[in-house]
Amino acid sequence: MERRQLLKAIGLAGVGAVHLSTPLTGLAKSINMPSAENIKLVNAKNNFNKALQHDARLIGFANMRQEYLSQPLKLEGKLPTDIQGDFYRNGPAGHERGDMRYLHLFEGDGMVQGFHFENGQLTHQAKFVKTSKFIKEQQADKFLYSGPDSRIDNALPVSHPDMVNPANTNVIAVGDELWALWEAGSATALDPRTLDTKHTVNLGQNSHYGDKLKGLAFSAHPKIEASGDIWNFGLSPTGHIALFHLSSAGKVNNVGLINARYKGGMLHDFLITDKHILLILPSLKVDAEQTGFFAQISYSNDIPMQVLVIDKQSLTLKKHYELESGFAFHYGNAWEEADGTIHFDASLYKTNHILTSFQKLMRGQPDDIHIGAKTVLFSLKANGSVHQQVIEGDSEFPRIFASKVGRQNQYLFTLAANDNPIWNDTINCLDLFSGNKSHFSYGKDFLVEEHIPIAMQGAEEQGYLIGTALHIPSKRTCLNIFKADRLNDGPLCRAWLPYHMPLGFHGNFVAS
Amino acid sequence: MKIYSALMFTSSLCLAGSIAAQTLTVEISGIKNDQGKILLQLFDSNENYQSNKAYSANMIKAKKGIVSISFNNLSAGEYAIRYFHDENDNGQLETNLFGMPVEGYGFSNNAKADFGPAAFDDMKVTITDKNLVTHSAVQY
Repeated sequence: MERRQLLKAIGLAGVGAVHLSTPLTGLAKSINMPSAENIKLVNAKNNFNKALQHDARLIGFANMRQEYLSQPLKLEGKLPTDIQGDFYRNGPAGHERGDMRYLHLFEGDGMVQGFHFENGQLTHQAKFVKTSKFIKEQQADKFLYSGPDSRIDNALPVSHPDMVNPANTNVIAVGDELWALWEAGSATALDPRTLDTKHTVNLGQNSHYGDKLKGLAFSAHPKIEASGDIWNFGLSPTGHIALFHLSSAGKVNNVGLINARYKGGMLHDFLITDKHILLILPSLKVDAEQTGFFAQISYSNDIPMQVLVIDKQSLTLKKHYELESGFAFHYGNAWEEADGTIHFDASLYKTNHILTSFQKLMRGQPDDIHIGAKTVLFSLKANGSVHQQVIEGDSEFPRIFASKVGRQNQYLFTLAANDNPIWNDTINCLDLFSGNKSHFSYGKDFLVEEHIPIAMQGAEEQGYLIGTALHIPSKRTCLNIFKADRLNDGPLCRAWLPYHMPLGFHGNFVAS
Repeated sequence: MKIYSALMFTSSLCLAGSIAAQTLTVEISGIKNDQGKILLQLFDSNENYQSNKAYSANMIKAKKGIVSISFNNLSAGEYAIRYFHDENDNGQLETNLFGMPVEGYGFSNNAKADFGPAAFDDMKVTITDKNLVTHSAVQY
């Protein structure tokens, strides 16, 4: 190789590495941090555990380091025998190591739970996702890496996001594996039977993409069509968004890159219709004056929400809509009519105050979690006009029947916080055809997690709604099964764990 | 200005009786296989590092474990080395779709990338009147 060529070739090292300088800018430089950084984490642990002694509700956010082997659960009521399969959930559970506690709820090590339904019996098990970060920190018995908000003194350097991937947000079935998902790095493959960690997923491996997809952000909210095809996105720190189309076995069919010029720093969810991908960009911007990744994310009324409509076949931008300002973590579904009108729903906030609420919660200072997030039904007309309808009442963790992803759905299931302001306590169902609502309130003694509709026979009318809740007085978690169209009747069956699990985020059911 | 400074520096070294012809050797450890080559660049200032203007470049066949390679005839001053393991031997640092390296790389003084390339100050070594050896472990 000529010297000039060699110089040019290595020069790319700088270009490539420069892109690393912006992701999770809150992590930034962790070398030579003042010791005050450690003190924040030590104080967080002390303050949280002191508050826990007086506020039993905080148990859902307490540190967990124990794993649970599979064991049968005690049932109240009759477990429907037509439910055969596994309900998997994921969420941050390892919030503390040594004398330190993470400063944000989103930073903890992910723990995957599996509820196995077989012949009217239920078993439960739970294991941590053994990411490289988890293994190293477990061996050291202390935090080695700074988190997005939690800076520690003498943190190990981070050369790519997977080095700090906690795999703590969602879990889906892909082929004969489970994938534990984060949103800023790779999926982590697990054994669906044992929940043992297998490997970090390199999406392009054994394809013509090679390592081109290695380490890319792969969001925690893939959309799985009725065909089994998997769609997902990943946000680059440059504001580009990668789009992924995978087979049900995880093989890459197509990958695209959209220059969305998005400067919000965080993008959590997206939607698909039968023809299009919707990238919905909230009214966020990064405030570099603040310290910490989540603290830097600020809301601006001056930034309209944007919807980028992308063709699923070509992965190219087809249309662009501007909405009023807003922010949403989650969307339920999207579908489109023959005339091109696209409908979608959002659990929409008019601020991103919830991000700081999670910080206070981690310090033992619970705040109102639901700051007015409501279901908003949007219609994007082909002529560019936008209509929206606000549904009164709290709304978070929206879910629909899996068979309706990208198609018109009749039912939208959400959570709400009515009597317990630090987490959800109520499940709601909105019939989008009739406008009728039904709900079940667990009451203030329960911290209610995402509930998902499942239809063993494929019909929404014969479906169930299943989900977990933490019973505060008895410090136990329970799994609840409802008839999806009769929430008001309360659960058909409740299965009690003999222990409690930390409050998690998302999960999915895999039929046998 | 830079030439002036360099002349002044060289001049002072001459007054001290030193000859500017030292060798900087980098010992690279943690190479995961024998495939391809290790391609290196040497920088003589932060300015040139930031603008990707290498003072010199070199290469060596990859060998699992440790290799050593030298830059010769260096005058006194601060230097920094960056390199990558060109496993597929195409002369390019392979990156993913977001531009992040997917081949191993490293820096002199065992400086580490930390959500961005290593800083010159962390990578730099100072040549005076002796040969110097710096160590680095590949980051894959």
